[in-house]
Amino acid sequence: MITILSFKSILAILATLIIAFIISIFIPGIERKYIHGRIQQRIGPPLFSPGLMAPIKFFFKENLKPNSPLPKLYKSLPVISFIVIFLILLFIIPQFYIYGSLASVIAIVGLLKVEEIAYVLMGSLSKSVMSTGMSFPDKIKGAKHLNVKSSFIEDISSSRALRLIIFGSFPLYLALFVPVSTVGSVYLSDILSYQISHGPILFSVSGIIGAIVFFIGYMILLNEYPFAILKTKADVIEGPYMEYSSKYRAINYINRGFLIFVLGSLFSLMFLGYPSNIFSWKFIINVLVALIFPVLMAILSAFSPIFTNKQFYPVILVSSIFGVLAILLGLLI
Amino acid sequence: MNEDEISNGKNIHNEDNVRNEEITHNENIIETEVALGTVHPAALEPYRLRLFVEDEIVKDAEITIGVNHRGVERIMEGLPVEKANALTEKICGICSNAHIWNSCLTAEKALGIDIPERANYIRIIMEELERLHSHFLYLGHGCEVLAHETFSMRAFSIRETVMELLRMIGGNRVQYGASIIGGVRPRCELDSNRIIKILEGMDIVEKKLNDFADRFVSDPIVMNRITGVGKISSKDALKLEVTGPTLRATGVKKDLRFKMKEYEPFDFNMITLSDGDVKDNILMRVLEIPEAISIIRQAVKNLPNGPIVDRSWEMIDSPTVHNYIEVPRGTLYHSYALEDGRVRGSVIRTPSMSNIGAMQLACIGNHLTDAQLCIVQCDPCFTCTDRAIEIIKL
Repeated sequence: MITILSFKSILAILATLIIAFIISIFIPGIERKYIHGRIQQRIGPPLFSPGLMAPIKFFFKENLKPNSPLPKLYKSLPVISFIVIFLILLFIIPQFYIYGSLASVIAIVGLLKVEEIAYVLMGSLSKSVMSTGMSFPDKIKGAKHLNVKSSFIEDISSSRALRLIIFGSFPLYLALFVPVSTVGSVYLSDILSYQISHGPILFSVSGIIGAIVFFIGYMILLNEYPFAILKTKADVIEGPYMEYSSKYRAINYINRGFLIFVLGSLFSLMFLGYPSNIFSWKFIINVLVALIFPVLMAILSAFSPIFTNKQFYPVILVSSIFGVLAILLGLLI
Repeated sequence: MNEDEISNGKNIHNEDNVRNEEITHNENIIETEVALGTVHPAALEPYRLRLFVEDEIVKDAEITIGVNHRGVERIMEGLPVEKANALTEKICGICSNAHIWNSCLTAEKALGIDIPERANYIRIIMEELERLHSHFLYLGHGCEVLAHETFSMRAFSIRETVMELLRMIGGNRVQYGASIIGGVRPRCELDSNRIIKILEGMDIVEKKLNDFADRFVSDPIVMNRITGVGKISSKDALKLEVTGPTLRATGVKKDLRFKMKEYEPFDFNMITLSDGDVKDNILMRVLEIPEAISIIRQAVKNLPNGPIVDRSWEMIDSPTVHNYIEVPRGTLYHSYALEDGRVRGSVIRTPSMSNIGAMQLACIGNHLTDAQLCIVQCDPCFTCTDRAIEIIKL
């Protein structure tokens, strides 16, 4: 039997979603203007520019047909990503907890996996002229290798996204299971109730370790420097997003800010017990946490070069080990 | 057909076979080609880079230039030598002063002109300022490719002081037009105000560089990231005729400034490092900057009195004259003959021409993400190489 939400609950969900979306629009601007700009001793872009003005500008640009074997699927991926992020936020709003199985860590992990798979598909379906599509005679005099299989640079991005699915996103998922191991339930309602009665999980040993691991996983999932292997400027440029133009590029811009907010909000719920509920004062803490995360991320990215395998694998390995340790501590203590 | 021709023919045939075997062999080991460019955000200039990769590790690399070809050598042919000199400055936007200086030196050598000592000092100041801005550009671009935006911005910020000094002396930030045959232009004269500003500028640059260098060297993530990447041995560097700081970063003591009579009045050290990797190449530029500052200070302090241009020369015909100078990126070569005051048989070879082989070699064995960094470590200026050389149809 399907449980029907009350009018107040629907109103709370809608208001939370809208306000969260509006706040998320400012996050890229805060990163660029107030963090990167200040650290790098420059003015930086206007606050509204990266998160709001850029998507608006792209919405009204002419849409170019992407160079892709499946253009319709390629174009639909940002929309799918947006829906996935929207659903994650929807599921972590307390009024939605009555739909037990949807408001669970398993559902959130599943949705985040969809987001990751979207990167793989975007990369494999984008065939930009930046690499092999550019007509240039490679059979020049003295060319050392002829008839070598050419690769689009987005293909590299796609294979990197696949690697991230296989092992790169371990830290984030392990960190999400730290509260699960502590509480003994995958349901968000149980995790929230536990923290209301016992205090935030963050203030335990497993919680602190889990929070650090979550932050590393958060940066990896968001493809932020130094973990931005999907869109490294030095080789794959924009990677999976290369062929998006007009409104599809605008949606990508929006998605990033929205995902940053949603993951921060998720952390606030899972480790602090402050859910994103507009009718509670705890929503302010939730928003603050969601804003502190991108600030910390921007500081770290401003002082880090891009990682290659030599640095990337050890970070994942160590953070994954700490993630497992945090889960074990959560189970034992 | 005589025996030699037959044997040569056999050799060619054998070479072809060897080459075919090599290609077949290489095709077996090389998985994929990743072509970057000719337009790519990590590259300052347009060039084509073919990387042959296996599991994102570069097995071989091939750089193709030619996109910016202007045929300056050919355009210079028949131009009055003064106009040809001015044209050489347009070859490069970074070492523009070096080109016009070397072209003027070539003409002065051909015409037997001894320029006033004060003019030589001003030319040295301009050249060393250009070395500073080139090295800071290198640091900024290197950090940008490394994706360390903060260090990149800092380097560009320090460079700004140097650019303003160049603008003050030359009247422009890129094309200064300082050198002319017989000396330097009157507008590049250094009065007491300018001298004070140069000295103040050098103090600022030195202080900011020290801060930058301390932070850079003490950053464990950055050092881990660049150590051992793009290594070139001194043996390979000599074999590939590498020049400039890239050569000296491999441990080879070769700096043409120590052989140039223009630099005789100045006391400075030759910096050499040993590893030849990205770390040493970056440190090489960082360590060369204080030496350039020292030369500028010496030149300003000991600036002789007297005229800055000698106009008492006469145009004569001359056979081909060659001149080499040490510019920020290596050895720059200019040569031409003079006939009725016009240039004949001009040849210009920029440092990047010699360093392309090293760039390709440096990429091999490194991660795909590091390929651009390996090229940048050799401080390429493909555009000026492109513009100058004459492309011959084969």
